[in-house]
Amino acid sequence: MKKLRLSLVVCLFFALVLPYKTFAGFPIGKYRDIVVPSFNYYSQTNHYDVYGNYVKGAPGAQFSSYSFSLFAGYGISRRLDFLATVPYLYQVNNLGTGNKTITSQGAGDMVAGLSYNIANYDYLRYLSVQVSGVVPLYTVAANATSALGLGNYGAEIKLMFCGALPTFIADKGYFNTEVAYRRYFNYQGPDQISWLGTVGYPIGWHDQVSMDITVFRSFSSNTAFNINYNAERDYAYVKPQLNFGHTFSRRFTLFAGGFYVPYGINTGLGYGGAVTAILKL
Amino acid sequence: MMKTFGYVYLFASLLFVRVEARAAAFQQEQQTEETGDIILKPSPRSENAVFKKNEQIVYNLRVENNTNAYTTGRISYTVTTDDGKKVSVDSIQLAIKGSSTKDYVVKIAPKTSGFYRVNFIVNSAEYDDTVRRVFGVDPQEIRSQLHKPADFDAFWKQSREQLEKITPRYRVLERRDLSTDKKRVYAVEMHSFDNVVVRGWLVIPRDGKKFPVHYRVPGYVVTLNPNMDSDDFIAFDLNVRGNGNSKDVINIGTDNYCLVNVEDKNKYVYRGVYMDCIRGLDFLCSHEDLGIDTSKIFVEGGSQGGALALVTAALDHRVKVLTMQVPLYADIHDNMAISASYDKQVFPFKVFRRYNSVHPGFTWDKFFSTFDYYDPQNFAPMVKCPVLMGIGLLDQFCPPRCSMALFNHISSDNKEYVCVPNSTHEVNMNYFMFQNLWLREKFRIP
Repeated sequence: MKKLRLSLVVCLFFALVLPYKTFAGFPIGKYRDIVVPSFNYYSQTNHYDVYGNYVKGAPGAQFSSYSFSLFAGYGISRRLDFLATVPYLYQVNNLGTGNKTITSQGAGDMVAGLSYNIANYDYLRYLSVQVSGVVPLYTVAANATSALGLGNYGAEIKLMFCGALPTFIADKGYFNTEVAYRRYFNYQGPDQISWLGTVGYPIGWHDQVSMDITVFRSFSSNTAFNINYNAERDYAYVKPQLNFGHTFSRRFTLFAGGFYVPYGINTGLGYGGAVTAILKL
Repeated sequence: MMKTFGYVYLFASLLFVRVEARAAAFQQEQQTEETGDIILKPSPRSENAVFKKNEQIVYNLRVENNTNAYTTGRISYTVTTDDGKKVSVDSIQLAIKGSSTKDYVVKIAPKTSGFYRVNFIVNSAEYDDTVRRVFGVDPQEIRSQLHKPADFDAFWKQSREQLEKITPRYRVLERRDLSTDKKRVYAVEMHSFDNVVVRGWLVIPRDGKKFPVHYRVPGYVVTLNPNMDSDDFIAFDLNVRGNGNSKDVINIGTDNYCLVNVEDKNKYVYRGVYMDCIRGLDFLCSHEDLGIDTSKIFVEGGSQGGALALVTAALDHRVKVLTMQVPLYADIHDNMAISASYDKQVFPFKVFRRYNSVHPGFTWDKFFSTFDYYDPQNFAPMVKCPVLMGIGLLDQFCPPRCSMALFNHISSDNKEYVCVPNSTHEVNMNYFMFQNLWLREKFRIP
């Protein structure tokens, strides 16, 4: 029994106490709420062409994005969660020395859906599926484009597997892995597939580090390059991100992280950072 | 390239999920690992070995032949009620190659509500063995008779009044030698029923100002020590009289503890024990200044502790949530009938029967005239708070039928139970993981 208790403590620490930066595959818990506001910054001057070759940007050209997003989750039942994300974007697209600067701002694409926990493995690891709808919160005139997004409705299905790291890898820490398919309802698509892997590891009672890797591919017949990734349809990138998290209380954890795009196709070569607060209400 | 990557990922993830499922199954099998020439491994097709009334009872039966010889014989399976009445017997032909495994499907006709023993018996020319299992059928429909004395409520009201006359004289002493940088440990002491001193341990996380309380009461003559496991609860562990560090007056072994004054309902040891649990609540509610959130007290216990936890929640609604595992003494009348069918007597009726056999004047009527005041089942209708109960289906100390009878008498609509098929007088890790999530749900703990 003592051994059982001991194991229990270890498991509970990592399964429950340690907040995760992402909640995708972890059931939120019946009747509980999570609110995650985050601020993101992204900047790029150069880009990758359709063959993945590095292309230096025009002198003075720079694209910067400042975005605020609000994620909210509610546990409808032990297995079923409602999730929604609403972003607000402010973007500055400087076309280069002597050229104009275009700014755009407004709400982006809202993503809302339901996540269902298909199975749990001893309450340590979870396999879940999420189905979401994508709703543009801005209007785009006919035959026009928007810097805030593609302007199309869409749908996404995501499979998630996450939980405590297996003990043969580490005696503490967690992982999250997701594979998603998204389709925008437009003749040009795009169809998007993505993979996200996260590993988190505690480095103290209140601190943790985590690393995300995103592999993203968007397929479309429209292969035009756009320095603003929100408005692109055919592109790909790999994005590693490093985060540090500090838990201030049981209800409040703050993450700060930075990322870089070391490889892409038909997209920007940029870097950025994010500050994410996790509020458990 | 991206497509290939996607396929690899999906394959890897599914493989890992599959490994996880196998690991869980292996863990389950390990609990019942057996050795022998022919090994039977029955697995109920229904989760937790609980079936519905109109549902066929199905077991997947894996047979392992550990010899090198081709073996033939029969596997029979007998089903009896939990008190030993034969229900059905059937068998299948066994024919298995040496050093191999073979899977059979055993089907048993639907049964009425209750718990049933099923024995899988392998007979070959060289080897015989029996594997015992228990399955349940709609246990939430099990009903039992309450043997509640007419003056039951008055008896306990009077007991509480007597307790209230005892000045608690609480003592709280910080034990720096046991404290850590994350938790403060206090030794606590208080005067309880009949002015007996009982002691316990209070462990308060340093990381916060106010916490819900995990109030744990002990198993049968079990010593509770400071509970350092919980970071989100204040842990209060009370050693009731005769347990742990509360043995000033009653210091007696497990063979006789439950017999102390069993012939007098007014002096029976459990009267004081039950009141000790209430005194523990008094202590918690009078020490809010230590960071105790008195609106979030959950009481927990296993075995005797399960009974004590239920009685505490029944007698005092300051308890907001109850969790119990394998509650001892539940439905004591049926427990006696079921235990009579055992090949070998086990606690508690092993002790009661021994006492009965050496005290000719102590009839079973006399026994029940005392014990009906203490049967946890008689307290169950008074429980109004959310309840979680865990039971082991192979438990002989607390037969599943008795635990479920108790459970079904609980008034609260907000109640759940967990059956652990291959456990005896205990539950498993999975139960405790679920219990923790369940508690967080009930208390809305982030």
